[in-house]
Amino acid sequence: MTISNAAVRAASLTKVYGEGDARVVALDGVDVSFRRGELTAIMGPSGSGKSTLMHCVAGLDRATSGQAWVGDVELTGLADDALTMLRRDRIGFVFQAFNLLPTLNAWENITLPLDLAGKRVDRAFADVVIDAVGLRDRLGHRPSQLSGGQQQRVACARALISKPDVVFADEPTGALDSHSSAELLGFLRRSVVELGQTVVMVTHDPTAASYADRVVHLADGRIVSEQLATVGGA
Amino acid sequence: MLRAILRDMRAHPGRISMTLVAIVLGVAFVVATWVVSDSAAETVGNANSRTDLAARVSSPRDTELTAAERDRLAALPGVQRAIGVLIGHSSVVQADGKLGDTYWPGEGGTNWDSSARFTLASGRGPESGGEVALEQEAAADAGLTVGSSAKVLNADGEPTTMTVVGIFSYRKAGASEVSPAVAYDPATAAARLGSAFAWIDLYGTDQTQIASAASGALGSGFDVRTGAELAVQRQQQADEEAQLVRNFLLAFAGVALLAGMFVIANTFTMLVAQRTRHFALLRAVGARRRQVRRAVLAEAAVLGLVGATIGVALGIGLGWLTMEIIPTTGEAVVFAVSPMAPLVGYLVGVLVTVVAAYGSARRGAAVAPVAALGTDAALPKRSLVIRTVAGCVAMSAGVVAVVATSGPALTDAKRAVGMAGALTGWLAVILLAPLLASAVLIPLSRLVSRRGSAVSRLAVRNAIRDPRRTAATASALMIGLALVTAFATVGASLTSYITGAIETDVPADTLIVQSAQGFSSISPTLVEKVRAVSGVDSVASPTESFAEFTHQGREYHNTITALEADSLGRALTPVIEAGRADLTQGVLVSSADAKEQGISLGDTLTINGVTAPVVGLYGESEILHGIVVNKTLLPPDPKSYLGAVYVSGASRSALDAAFADRPDIVVLDRAGLLAEYTEPLDLALGIIYALLAAAVIIAVFGVVNTLALSVLERTREIGVFRAVGATRSLVRRSVRRESVVIATYGGLLGVGVGILLGGVMQHVIIGTPIFDLTIPKIVVAGALGGMIVVGVLAALWPARRAARTDILAAIATA
Repeated sequence: MTISNAAVRAASLTKVYGEGDARVVALDGVDVSFRRGELTAIMGPSGSGKSTLMHCVAGLDRATSGQAWVGDVELTGLADDALTMLRRDRIGFVFQAFNLLPTLNAWENITLPLDLAGKRVDRAFADVVIDAVGLRDRLGHRPSQLSGGQQQRVACARALISKPDVVFADEPTGALDSHSSAELLGFLRRSVVELGQTVVMVTHDPTAASYADRVVHLADGRIVSEQLATVGGA
Repeated sequence: MLRAILRDMRAHPGRISMTLVAIVLGVAFVVATWVVSDSAAETVGNANSRTDLAARVSSPRDTELTAAERDRLAALPGVQRAIGVLIGHSSVVQADGKLGDTYWPGEGGTNWDSSARFTLASGRGPESGGEVALEQEAAADAGLTVGSSAKVLNADGEPTTMTVVGIFSYRKAGASEVSPAVAYDPATAAARLGSAFAWIDLYGTDQTQIASAASGALGSGFDVRTGAELAVQRQQQADEEAQLVRNFLLAFAGVALLAGMFVIANTFTMLVAQRTRHFALLRAVGARRRQVRRAVLAEAAVLGLVGATIGVALGIGLGWLTMEIIPTTGEAVVFAVSPMAPLVGYLVGVLVTVVAAYGSARRGAAVAPVAALGTDAALPKRSLVIRTVAGCVAMSAGVVAVVATSGPALTDAKRAVGMAGALTGWLAVILLAPLLASAVLIPLSRLVSRRGSAVSRLAVRNAIRDPRRTAATASALMIGLALVTAFATVGASLTSYITGAIETDVPADTLIVQSAQGFSSISPTLVEKVRAVSGVDSVASPTESFAEFTHQGREYHNTITALEADSLGRALTPVIEAGRADLTQGVLVSSADAKEQGISLGDTLTINGVTAPVVGLYGESEILHGIVVNKTLLPPDPKSYLGAVYVSGASRSALDAAFADRPDIVVLDRAGLLAEYTEPLDLALGIIYALLAAAVIIAVFGVVNTLALSVLERTREIGVFRAVGATRSLVRRSVRRESVVIATYGGLLGVGVGILLGGVMQHVIIGTPIFDLTIPKIVVAGALGGMIVVGVLAALWPARRAARTDILAAIATA
């Protein structure tokens, strides 16, 4: 694994919450790389620091010490606005729930990052993404008119639309039934295979992890193992 | 239960602070109103009233009180002293060489005496013919102090230069006394003001005995009042005046409270919505509906109580400040706070808050216990059907009432119906505001969706997300703005009506000679003096009297205006709607009077024994009234009313020079004449705007409140917005635009409703058609521009809060 092959990486990343007796070390000097064009799953029990790791490498939270890079940009020194631009232009997000702005319809939600950046929508690519998530006939609907699975697929489409360096998905299937979960994971898998997208997914669900190329296990803020997965894709 | 509520309130001071502001401001206004009117009554009634009088004898109309009566009264048993009071025409020349118009010149002079009428502020009383004492305010107006020489004018119109030896403040007794400006020593007063006393003041200890002795001595016909009776009269009059002031101010306080109610109701709606799950939990663990409802009402009452306490304190302070800064006529100001003031304040504060919160309390209690279990506990959406139907009914009723009374012939009943219709329409707009919000903002949202940026799109959509909330916020703004615009429309319409009428009647180069004291009558001898000025081409001296005339055997009464025949078309140019403006051939009648009294062109009228044909009909005029006759045909009585002389041909400087020695006469050009008419109107409007500002300010806090609570509700949304790439400034901008959209909507509603309301008001007042109104462009532009500023300012704090939203906390909130 060479550095140039990593979409995202972290070196000695440490995150500490609180002080004194209430001091909690969420991340304890984590070194990790997420490869380009791969779906990496971060797994671990509750409180293992997997979400914190994602937040720190995705520019949503600031590490206490250590460094993190998205591509060749180092996050730790960036001001809030620069970090925001980075998220907008180079990172896609799918959260567990409440991913969408309720006043915007599906199309407007999908294109929001481009809108915020003042960029034109690449119609051809948008068509590819929309057909992939199967939402062509739902574009004019508001989130409240969509099912949970459809809402998560809109969120995925939004994450892909700006062709980001990496898509972070935080328990994307946490609020979905098994059928919708399978659909969503299948879609994330296809985005890696067909579009060459890099995806980092935080999950505690082994089924979800079975869609990954690589699985990183965290416990007590440290990486305990990193293994190539047998890609099921089913 | 109450404890839980109070803890909840203490835990979230930010949520209730704006509501508190609305209550505090509303209550403060009411309390200040009470304090100001109480203090005014106290100031007039007690502090500046006399208590040293035993009795006062006034003469009936046709009998004079002279020194003989005074001496007889002085000799009565128990009377220690009898002082005859002379009241007559006197005024003080101002620094500009003309008279001021602040005093009643007819009652401006009196004789100095050592009674409690006068309290010397400096100097001494006048003792000889060359000396005067001046009333404080009059001296200040004219820029005079002890030792300066004053020019004093009496009824003869000739100014006399006298030395100011004292400055006094005046104390009154009874209801009708006026503060004089000038006091002379007794001999000078008799020479200048005449020897007949206006009344005789009696001093002594036993008021009733003295009064009955005086009645007995003078016989019937004389009005004798004891000092106590006079004090009661004066207090009554002071109370009545204070009551008028109070009612006037309370009307505005009511408007402010109405705006406040919208703000409070809106806050409670949002607070209850945010705590849906909290209420469901209470219900689930066994609270009855009534208990939940009471808990919310208790919260409202506590809030009202706290708000009222601050409001009462602020109101008393505001009242004190008002009494300090309002100009008084040299009277010692008394600051009075009656127990009623705080009582009313508390009553209003608690009642308004509880009433405003009642709807929310009921909805909170209606939450199903099962809602506690769901993830997204929300109140069921309320239907707008009932509200819309009520609004449509009210609107129809209002329109019908206004249309039915829109004709030109107006009776008082029609005026009342028209006005009531307009106010009903105003209320209907409040009811229909949510619907209108959708109607106005949805097309805007479509437009923005196609053209605008993501930020504008979000802002507009957020603004129409809950039309009820936006409508309530905008309605609060609308209430104050509609009234401001309505009064401005009336003002502009009246101004343009008067301006139009005067500019029609008076050519631009005509000059006007009139009394320095506004519209007082001037002497007819001035007409000859004007005519003698070099360059004069034509002189019009419309002299009015009220007379009987006969038309086709029937008798009528009307104003008869005597006018120089050659002035028509030169010094004055009234619009002739029929016939000719030739007074040498007959008389002119106003079209309106002709219509009312059935007079047509060519009919003959007999006025004071003189018969003349009607040769012309003239249109609306501010200068000519009733039947206009040739001055040579019907020479007016010298006592008739002559308001002004209109002159063409002469130069301003020539006229000014001719009247340089007459402080009681001023020369105006047409613009100056217009100002005489419109300035009092502008002043009145200025006061009304200032009083309505309270309602607008309260509504602005309502906008802040709505935004702050909305931002709080949307924490997760803002978190996602930030996560996918919105910078802090973008978040701030979207809140700011939402705020501007809401405020501008309020502004548009207010201006629209205000103009229509103003149209009806001016129709009701002057009888012109409703749509014959003048739009007050400056006020409208100011209101709309002001609302954009209000939108930006109101968003400052909520936008900052929104921008500071912690992304992680926001997306972690499940």
